[in-house]
Parts: sequence; C-alpha cells; structure tokens
Amino acid sequence: MTDSARGLSPTTISSLLVDTSPYLSCDDCFAQIDEYVERKIADPHYEDPAMKAHLAGCGACAEEAETLRELLSQDAG
Amino acid sequence: MTTVNRAIPAVTPAPPSDDTWLADLTDDGPAGQQALLRLRELLVRASRHQVWRLRDLLPGAGAGDLEDMAQQAANDALVAVLRQLGTFEGRSRFTTWAYKFGVLHAGVAVRREAWRHREVPLPDTLALVADRSPAPEAHSEAAQLARAVQAAIAGELTPHQRRVVLALLVEDVPIDVLADRLGSTRNALYKTLHDARRRLRAALIDGGYIDARPNRSTP
Repeated sequence: MTDSARGLSPTTISSLLVDTSPYLSCDDCFAQIDEYVERKIADPHYEDPAMKAHLAGCGACAEEAETLRELLSQDAG
Repeated sequence: MTTVNRAIPAVTPAPPSDDTWLADLTDDGPAGQQALLRLRELLVRASRHQVWRLRDLLPGAGAGDLEDMAQQAANDALVAVLRQLGTFEGRSRFTTWAYKFGVLHAGVAVRREAWRHREVPLPDTLALVADRSPAPEAHSEAAQLARAVQAAIAGELTPHQRRVVLALLVEDVPIDVLADRLGSTRNALYKTLHDARRRLRAALIDGGYIDARPNRSTP
C-alpha cells in the first residue's frame, strides 16, 4: 500500500467535490463538443447543463474545449 | 513607352461548404485527393495549436519535436475523421467537427509523452501532512474541511475509486495516462470519478461541511 503525502489545497478540494451531475461520459462530451463550442461563441449565455457539469469535472475535455474555442476564434478573427 | 504592371487582385476562394467537403472526401478522383490535402492541412493546424498550447508539459522538447508530434497527431486524426465521416450530422460546421479530432489526438499525444518516463503514482491512501500540525490554522474551517474530505476518501470510497481519485485529482496524473496504466479507458475512469465525487459530496453534505447546492464545495 502506498500513501499520497500531498496536501489538499483548496483547488484540490474543489476538484474533489465538484458536482458533475447530470452525468455525461467523455465519449458523449466529445460527440457534442463541436456544436457546444460553436453555440457558446455565438451566444455566451448559451448553456447545456450536462456539458457544463462535465467540463467542470474533466480537465482533459475542458482543455480540448478551450483549444477548440481558440481555433474558432482565430478563424473568425 | 512605359509598361505598367497592374496587379491583379487576389481572389480568395470561398471555403468549401459542408456538403462539398463530404462529397469531395468520398470522391475517388482528383477532387477527393484535393479534399484529403485540405483536410490534413486543417488537422495539422488543430493539432499544432494544441501541441503548442500544452508545450509546458514537455520542457525538453524543441520546436522540431513539437512539430513532429503535431504532424503525427494530424495523421492519426485524419484516419479517425475518415473512419467516422459517416457519423457527421451537420450539428456544427464540418471544419469544427474535424478540428476536434486533431485537438484530441494532439492532447493525448502530449500527455502520454510527458509521462512516458515517469512513474505513475497509484496511492491507496491520503496522508495529510497538515494533520500533524498543532498550529492554530489546523483548526480553521479550511483545515476542518480538508480533514473531513480525507476521512470521506478513506471511509466512503471503494479501493478502486480511492486509487482513481487520488491519482487523478491529488497526484495530477492525466486521465489518458492513467487509463493506459490501468488498462482502462478515459470513459470508464471518468465514470469512476463521477461516482466517487457523488459519494464524497454526500458525506460532506451529511456532515454539514458543504451545502447541497451545486459547485459550492469550498467555504
């Protein structure tokens, strides 16, 4: 058995306790992420609760969404 | 007599429509070859952007290494796009739909490379160093919450949930890297993480440390 001796920073605690409901899988997030990012750019107030919850709880998917947003913003600029 | 060279204004061709992309990519002739080249250029742009965004994860990599990684990721993404072409439903522009494959493959490639020579920590328990401190701040609200979270991790999670939670969220192992290490998938690990978070939140709500409103996890 091994221990993690790292402390629990406020950021880590937030990531441990973030509410990721309603559940959405990474595959379903990937299936929708192009449409979601386009809609968010067109209307910053647009929201999809399941996508929002997933992106709050999955760093890899959130990173990909941000990169996609940057690419589309560059294309538009 | 002086000859005047009049510059002919460059005309930028209109970008292909989604229907054109789909028709050309399924064409066996020259139009198909041109479309493949355009698609690969688009995927290189996406993968290169992602590789450079994540370059801090690869401190030893030079520009050539990053470009090689972007080109390889674009090749992998091209195969994925062509394989899944039939699933494109037009809910976004085709170019946006294609970009996401380049971004995905580049991100996975960078994270895997960053951890290629690192041991993936898989702790079974969490030891809070702060617990041993008699300092006044150890009794603060934040310290109480940290201890409550530690207790919930120890008492509310299954061994598998605990291992996944500690590796992903405390040791910061990327989810793709952990999936490789455990012979699992990103999907399966995220589901484990989701279920574990529900248990942790329920325990902390029961204990009065957080309220039941979403994403109000810290004081």
